[in-house]
Amino acid sequence: MSMRKRTSELFLGTASAALLALMTASTVLADQPDEAEVGVDADEEDAIVIGGSIPMTGVFAFAGLQFNDGIRDFVRWANEEKGGVNGRKFRYVGQDTGYDADQSVGVFRRITSREDVDFYFGDSTAFSQSINSALNRRDILMTGASFASELNNPEQYPLQFLLGPDYTEQVGILLNYIAEEDPGARVALVHSDTEFGRDPIRASEEMAEELGLEHVETIVTPAGASDISSAALELRRARPDYTIFHGYILSPIPDFIQRARQMGMDTRFMGTIYTMDQGIIDEMGDAGDGFMGVMPYRYYYDEEAPDTEVFGAIHEMHDEYRATTYTQGWLAGMLLMQIAQATLDAGDELTGTNMRKALDSLEDIDTGGIIGVPVTFRGNSIPVGRIYRADAEEGRMVPVSDWIDLDETD
Amino acid sequence: MRIGSPKETYAADESLFRTRTQWVWFGILLLSLVLYPFMANLYWLYLVCLICINIISATGLNILTGYTGQVSLGQAAFMGVGAYTVAWLDNNASTPFIMNLLAAGAVTTVVGIIAGLPSLRVKGLYLAIATIAASFILQFIFINWESVTRGTRGINIEPPTLFGVEFDNPDTFYWLVVPVTVVMLILAANLFRTRVGRAFIAIRDRDISASVLGINLPLYKLMSFAIASFYAGIAGGFYAYFYGSINPESFPLLLSIFFLAAIIVGGLGTILGSILGAVFMTLTPELLRYGVDVLEPFVHDASALLSPVRTMVFGLLIVGFLLFEPHGLAEIWRRIRRFFHLWPFRN
Repeated sequence: MSMRKRTSELFLGTASAALLALMTASTVLADQPDEAEVGVDADEEDAIVIGGSIPMTGVFAFAGLQFNDGIRDFVRWANEEKGGVNGRKFRYVGQDTGYDADQSVGVFRRITSREDVDFYFGDSTAFSQSINSALNRRDILMTGASFASELNNPEQYPLQFLLGPDYTEQVGILLNYIAEEDPGARVALVHSDTEFGRDPIRASEEMAEELGLEHVETIVTPAGASDISSAALELRRARPDYTIFHGYILSPIPDFIQRARQMGMDTRFMGTIYTMDQGIIDEMGDAGDGFMGVMPYRYYYDEEAPDTEVFGAIHEMHDEYRATTYTQGWLAGMLLMQIAQATLDAGDELTGTNMRKALDSLEDIDTGGIIGVPVTFRGNSIPVGRIYRADAEEGRMVPVSDWIDLDETD
Repeated sequence: MRIGSPKETYAADESLFRTRTQWVWFGILLLSLVLYPFMANLYWLYLVCLICINIISATGLNILTGYTGQVSLGQAAFMGVGAYTVAWLDNNASTPFIMNLLAAGAVTTVVGIIAGLPSLRVKGLYLAIATIAASFILQFIFINWESVTRGTRGINIEPPTLFGVEFDNPDTFYWLVVPVTVVMLILAANLFRTRVGRAFIAIRDRDISASVLGINLPLYKLMSFAIASFYAGIAGGFYAYFYGSINPESFPLLLSIFFLAAIIVGGLGTILGSILGAVFMTLTPELLRYGVDVLEPFVHDASALLSPVRTMVFGLLIVGFLLFEPHGLAEIWRRIRRFFHLWPFRN
């Protein structure tokens, strides 16, 4: 037998054997959910189970790994320090989706077929839309990574809520701040040609006019485009006082800023939640200095943070900066804890519908300090945020406004 | 051991199943497909439904690429056309879902023929680029024809209903997608018993010779595109119903590459290859999840740490199968069969 043939048979044999073994393991494990516990803590029968389609690989992994850590740390803290809700401990089961909506649905099916899931964390707008009917049928409450305005519709998405303001509201908070600080300012919007990028644009253009601002230009960049030279020229022609980016995480924002500076433009650059993490701002380098944006949560290093319940616990667990997406995972947990408490207090079971009812009844929810003010849901979102500015000297984001509640500004 | 299978007629030589044993196995397969939903949980039913959708689309691509030799990277976009057709009909016309599915197939066929026009002049890599262009154009249409596609916001589709039964969950959807897949596979297999199918193979093997033999190249090439996109359209229609929501990002170029990989790994130019390839490509990443589960007790936070490894292992498996079995999984299958045919008289 030749060497090559032997290697080939060895590979094919091993690979097939391994796959067969996994298949057997899968059927065995599928029948014994307790043996295949994924996640942390609480094996008790009555555990409150949090499932999660989490993008631990792929383009959104930087956030997904943080969601995973955040929820996991929350579960540990809630079980150890709080003893769960009415003695019922939490259990978290999260799995990788590669930020692919089909895989997310697969993970949902996988987890829900093995666990009696009470609450779910989703990873994208597409997933939130696809899974909606399954959520309603299985009566599971869900939140997640998406802030899509589309989801902020309790009639169509009765069992989903957002962990902050939707994208339209985020830009709305920015526009309110601008209108307050600089009435009549010229505003330009720059967005990517994606579902994420287009989301708030039309509504924001109208809102800018309503607030007495001058909407001078909306610039669309193709998804994944790296050359923004013509877009930057367009921006210069519009001469905005404020430029709001949406639908990007990092690139091409630094490039835009640098070109604008080279052309001697005097405009303030702003962004929305996923651009506003300290890690992303740091990656912008020099361009990041002075970058502003809306963030619905406190930062890890916020001066008041150590005195709050949640950040006190986080600081105890981690000495180093934790991303805002990590905090987002905590917020999902904190809100779930309050909603579950209210549901159980009302004598109801933890079904999606009952929890939604509880969510609607809650007012002035204390998020343990993650959001600086007590919050109330409006529709499916929490329309509260704060404006921060990147301060290169201090190496951190400093608040430049108070907490802005769109409910109060309307 | 099997001792010969003499054929007395041409029909017998051409038949799909040549021996009684094959019929028996086919019967057992059908029976297990019928029994499966009663034994599997929703997750495994979900996987089978997804595999079926992928099999339909991969079979279409295999007819075009594997049998006719026309490389196409437009399969995902064609699926998108089918999915959007279903979505539009579902939201704007109260036609029954079977009509919608057929319409998806028909519309995609027309689009496929148009996208296939470059194949009359170019082939190989050039054709691949031309089909990429087609898929970008379709993607652009999905995003910008807002009155029909709702643009990037995506569009929701109600689950199909038949005789009052709502096919809204994998356990019911199974009964819809599996029979259609079986039928479409039998149709595809039968295609290559006809003049049309043989013309495809002739074109693949040597288009000039095929032309000399009297095969109308433009006609048959376009016919191949038409059939491939019909399959893609049906698969896309099922996809739309299955997920209940689609947006332009549901059908990325990467998905086309997924199908191309599936038929290459499975075996180009065999129906079995499409099946095995689609099963392999869909199931392996999921099975590797169980590898992560098994390691969970030993590794702290296994899912976060091992998920990238899972992706890499999947990639390596594909490379390995390509290196060690270039004819695909179908060839491995054949070898296993041969082994049992000769058993126990072969060392």
